[in-house]
Amino acid sequence: MTNHRSPSVLGTLFRYEMRMLLRDTRTILIAIVAPLIMFPAYILVVNYVDSREQQALEEETYRYAVSGSRAGWAEGVVKAAIALDESDPDTSRAPVSFEFRNPPDPMGALEAGDIHVVVEGFSAPEWDSIRAEEREAEEEAREEEASGGEAAEADTAHAEEEPSLPAVRILYRGNSDFSEAARTRLRERILEVRATQRDSVLLSSGFPVAMSEVAPVEAESVASAAKASGLFLGLALTPFLVVLMLSGGSIVAVDAICGEKERGTLETLLTTAASRTDIVRAKLLAVIVVGLAVAVINVANLLVYIVLGVLDLPPDFVVEIDPLGLLLLLALLVPVAVLVAAALLLLSGASKSYREYQVFFFPVFVAFVVPSFAAGLPGIDLHSIIAVVPLAGVAVAVKEILVGEIDLPFQAFAFVSTAGLALWLTFKTHWTLSNEKLISGSDLDQADLTGGAALFPRHVLRWFLGLWVLFFLSSLWFGQDLGLRGQVVLNLLVIFFGGSLVMVRRYRLDPVEAYGLRKAHPAAWIAVLLGAPSALLVAFGITELVNTFVFPVPEQLLENFGQELLGPELPLWQLVLFLSVMPGIFEELFFRGILLHGLRRVIRRKWLLALTVGLIFGIFHVSLFRIVPTAWLGFILTWVVLFGGSIYPAMLWHALNNAIATVPATLGWLPEDFEPEAWWALPACLVLAFALWILWRTGPWNGTKGTGERSRGEAGTTRRR
Amino acid sequence: MNARDIWILYRMEIRSALRERSIVVNSILMPIFLYPVLLWVMFTAMTFIQGLNEQFTSRVALAGAPPPGHGSVLDSLEARDDVELVRGVGRDDAISLIRAGELDVLLSFLPPDTGGAALPGNFRVEALYDRSEARGRNAVARVREVVDDYRTRWIGQETEARGMTEQDRRLFWVADEDMATETELGNRVLGLLVPLFLTIMVALGCFFPAVDTTAGERERSTWETLMTTSASRHSLVTAKYLYVATMGVSAGILNVVAIVVSLGAVMAPLLGETEGISFRLPLMAIPVMLVGAMVLALLLSAGMVILASFARTFKDGQAMVQPVYFAAVVFPLLLGQQTDITLTPGIAAIPVANVAMMIRDAINGVFVWPYIALSLAVDLFLVLLCLRLARFILRFEDFLIGSYDGSFWRFAKERMHPRRSEKDLA
Amino acid sequence: MKTNERTVFVEDLRKTFYDESRGEVKAVDGVTFSCHPGEVFGLLGANGAGKTTTLRMLSTVLKPTGGTASVMGHDVVREPQAVRESLGFYSASTALFPRLTGQETLRFFARINHYPVERLQERVDALISRFGIQEYANARIEKLSTGMKQKVSIARTIAHDPPVLIFDEPTVGLDVLNALEMVKVIRELRAEGKTIIFSSHIMSEVEKLCDRIAIIHRGRLLALGTLASLREATEQHYLEDIFVHYVTRAEGLEAATIGVAGELEEAP
Repeated sequence: MTNHRSPSVLGTLFRYEMRMLLRDTRTILIAIVAPLIMFPAYILVVNYVDSREQQALEEETYRYAVSGSRAGWAEGVVKAAIALDESDPDTSRAPVSFEFRNPPDPMGALEAGDIHVVVEGFSAPEWDSIRAEEREAEEEAREEEASGGEAAEADTAHAEEEPSLPAVRILYRGNSDFSEAARTRLRERILEVRATQRDSVLLSSGFPVAMSEVAPVEAESVASAAKASGLFLGLALTPFLVVLMLSGGSIVAVDAICGEKERGTLETLLTTAASRTDIVRAKLLAVIVVGLAVAVINVANLLVYIVLGVLDLPPDFVVEIDPLGLLLLLALLVPVAVLVAAALLLLSGASKSYREYQVFFFPVFVAFVVPSFAAGLPGIDLHSIIAVVPLAGVAVAVKEILVGEIDLPFQAFAFVSTAGLALWLTFKTHWTLSNEKLISGSDLDQADLTGGAALFPRHVLRWFLGLWVLFFLSSLWFGQDLGLRGQVVLNLLVIFFGGSLVMVRRYRLDPVEAYGLRKAHPAAWIAVLLGAPSALLVAFGITELVNTFVFPVPEQLLENFGQELLGPELPLWQLVLFLSVMPGIFEELFFRGILLHGLRRVIRRKWLLALTVGLIFGIFHVSLFRIVPTAWLGFILTWVVLFGGSIYPAMLWHALNNAIATVPATLGWLPEDFEPEAWWALPACLVLAFALWILWRTGPWNGTKGTGERSRGEAGTTRRR
Repeated sequence: MNARDIWILYRMEIRSALRERSIVVNSILMPIFLYPVLLWVMFTAMTFIQGLNEQFTSRVALAGAPPPGHGSVLDSLEARDDVELVRGVGRDDAISLIRAGELDVLLSFLPPDTGGAALPGNFRVEALYDRSEARGRNAVARVREVVDDYRTRWIGQETEARGMTEQDRRLFWVADEDMATETELGNRVLGLLVPLFLTIMVALGCFFPAVDTTAGERERSTWETLMTTSASRHSLVTAKYLYVATMGVSAGILNVVAIVVSLGAVMAPLLGETEGISFRLPLMAIPVMLVGAMVLALLLSAGMVILASFARTFKDGQAMVQPVYFAAVVFPLLLGQQTDITLTPGIAAIPVANVAMMIRDAINGVFVWPYIALSLAVDLFLVLLCLRLARFILRFEDFLIGSYDGSFWRFAKERMHPRRSEKDLA
Repeated sequence: MKTNERTVFVEDLRKTFYDESRGEVKAVDGVTFSCHPGEVFGLLGANGAGKTTTLRMLSTVLKPTGGTASVMGHDVVREPQAVRESLGFYSASTALFPRLTGQETLRFFARINHYPVERLQERVDALISRFGIQEYANARIEKLSTGMKQKVSIARTIAHDPPVLIFDEPTVGLDVLNALEMVKVIRELRAEGKTIIFSSHIMSEVEKLCDRIAIIHRGRLLALGTLASLREATEQHYLEDIFVHYVTRAEGLEAATIGVAGELEEAP
């Protein structure tokens, strides 16, 4: 009715939500109280076990034997090392006790575990030959891997520098904690003994000071303890709170809409005088309140345990924060709480049943936790695009506040972007309350009964997810063994093409429709020739942009991560076949064919459709940092197919793109480390736009623009002239 | 109890379960894909961040210069391409730049203290940095490398001038070598990871089916349908129990296989090419792992099915079973990380922990058959106890038809209450 | 075809529950009746009268606290499995397994109730064609509409061809057409010689369908007989009035606002 009633309606709804929650004692017990006990209990258990193990390591008497041609000398060294504790007690060294053993077969005894370390003594010539053997073996191994010319040289140079000296070698077993501990402690002491001996030799030769007094380096940290702790807290705070709010908020969210659907009370609620806005707001408020409450309770719980001494903080943990900082912190966390709550509520609204909620909760959880760790990326600075990324921006801002940097404008950006996303999600939640299918939770659909092509759009993402996992795992498990060509065959033919065939068969799709196997307009080919290189240049420009403004990734690292080994021995025709032609054909059939066909009916808006297809394409190229240029290519190629109605131009474009990226460098037409200038992307943009315009203008090949698209039931965006 | 009836019911349960999305996801898909993917992500992220830190050049500011004759220290520093020398910055400015993260190290060359003053031309290097920044720590390490090198050369020159050879000065080398084979190292890692993951996955694999087949059945109103069939109560419960155990075992085994197969590839970026690691399970380890997984599944599903059957809705059921899940995971954690512990009678007496230890030993090639038998006996005894408890609970009608109000405590209280007018049921 | 042999015997059946707040509750307090093949025996009563409890005792889901009951000669306490083998139980609280298909459901119930394996597929096919569910026999139950589910539900109740059938409020929540369909099926089953126990609180159904009617109230049978005999005994025509007659007599109350043939009568 009138507006002034709304506050009380909201209040009523909110109180009702809270009452229902508080009466669900079992859920409260399990979801709130139990973790309060379990979480510290786990930490206690781990700490206890850890300290017991540390103790065992310290109290153990380590057994050693000696061997080698200069075993006697080695024994002397070890004895001197052990005696260090008496002659030079140093509390920074962990105390240790060693016991000498003399088994007939020291190596066998080591293997059997009867002794922990074997100390070998070698004369200088013996050691030299051992080292020479080792270096040979290393060289061989390195030659097997790559062009070994330079590496070998460096090593022989080094070898000449090493003087010929006797040596002490400690043999240990890396798979035994005790043996490792013995090794570490003994080595530490032997090095000290040697240092002492060296010093006395120096002094006796007339060198005026001990070695440690020569040009000592004293490093001192100027960071206040508060900064170090602030950094730690800043990194951990956002993820910690996000996780708590997700799990706490879920308790309410799952029931708020989803649970009510299952119980049938949602419809009852929707038929009351309360507006949908009020209903959503009240539920949102409930989720926020509970999420925050859980977060606060857990933090308080941790504090209690810390105060009680049950949990230990790292030493010199000091938190200094001024009132303004604290205020800003609290202000920043508000949109996070709202964002988490809105996302959970949206999930609840979009799920048809409690179980569906749970299945989708996990990806939502990951989607929130990952950006909240953004502050942990080295080199990331609030003065960049990251401030505008929801949640990640807040994470970085929180870290900066806790480290003592207050930077209002950018912190405001973070606030606004996160709050903006939260509001948008809330708005979408409204929609779930008006969507029939989602309210009634009923599943019945003609498509379900008849199956076939009508069902495909609903299932297509599932298939792609499964195929992605298959793709990922096969790269992981077989990647090394198969080599470049094997991987291409496995991925493109078996997974992509094979996968698409399975889908076509299962859903009884029409291959021509599904793959887009139509003839293309002649002008399309010109568009492709113009567009392919220009799109590549633009891709490069975009990558540069991201690198500069979001976060800097050093070139070399980019290359290390996931660049396929371009075996230099591949003949040109194979290079073109495996890296350009085959991807061009099979990736297009898979992504711009089947995937696009399936998603077309699900995602109506074209730009969103292109973005989705592009992103999925990017995700399939598992090298994390090439997602942007790859997604860009996918995005453009989707438009090519959407405008032109045929997959063939896209195939050519893709093949050209890959060819341009690989062939000239390999053939030597361009220097190997050639990189286009970033500003070339600007004219390239124009050429690209022109190419796309040609495609749009000419449309699919039946001559009339727009017919092809309209017959698929799209809202027409084309204009006739 | 009729074996044929149990088989019919069991098949029906499995068929039904394999069509339920959440069960397939949790008991089959997640075990295969989740952990390998998670591990890969974690390791990749770690190496990436490590790599990032190392790639950055260290920004080193200078306050003052080294004493005359030692200028080559600066030259060596400048010669490094991962160090960038910044000159002309005042001390206070430098310190605030360091705190702001714009500078990594401030180097000052100071006169030596009393101990070192005896050496002409000696100096001290003071390096101010921010301990909490990885870049700062890396920078200091690089500075140390350069100065250490310089020191070695300087001392070498001085001692040569005094007629000492390098042999005399350096005395001897100290080296160490790991005698453990690649397989042993690899198996050690496996032995630490597999028991934990196996337990978690068996518990996870049992979780949903346990709740679904009891509380879920009630919710869908198919519980009574089943009770009016000709199969006996015990056949019904046995079939459900075996079904849940099957899902647990398959989840556990699938997960272990997935981990073993992916571990090499997943850990490769972390270890670099220097350390070799390979896995080869001893042949006898496989039956031990299988039996262990089965026993774990039997144990966990017994607990979960009993608890879940008190619930009337799926959500309640989940809430009731979660404690079992958490408790189960604690036990392998108790074993800790020490590889030198093996199965002992003490550990053999603790359920779940004994299976975890048994498996860890088996992977490392240690088989102490008497203790293994003891562990299995303890666990199976516990299983029988649970089954007995289940039979006891099954007698009570309000439990059977789920008409009581869902409160576990009230149920227990009523059992203890002497005033009952129901005939005791056989 | 009615014969004199009795397939269902219930003798002084009792069931007492213990409730924390109310103390002892006598849900069924001495019920006696018997049924023979080819008849629809109706149990008529209000909610909470004891209909469902009686039927559950017959189907061995609950155990009697007193008295005896037997189905096809098998005692419900001593031979519960044999009882269930001879019985088909249909109720609002016996739903179908959502993830199985119709075909699989029928096969399962036939098998689990020990229908001869050699004739299993034949039986399932016969059921599918009898109820006309060929079109969706291979779709999962969760996808079916209420009417479709109902058909499959009835089919699974008789999947193992039991001689005795119990229908506990089978038309609850059904629309007119589906309810009529249910009634029609029950008639067919009666013609086949099954013993059918039918419980409801919907008078018109009981009137149409049942050969003999038992009125149950607060765990006791207030009346038992054919519709004709009950009419004679109470001098009322409509079953509703007959029912009210017995109930108010049992309660010792005067009727309040009770409509007879649409007219309102005020309490004197």
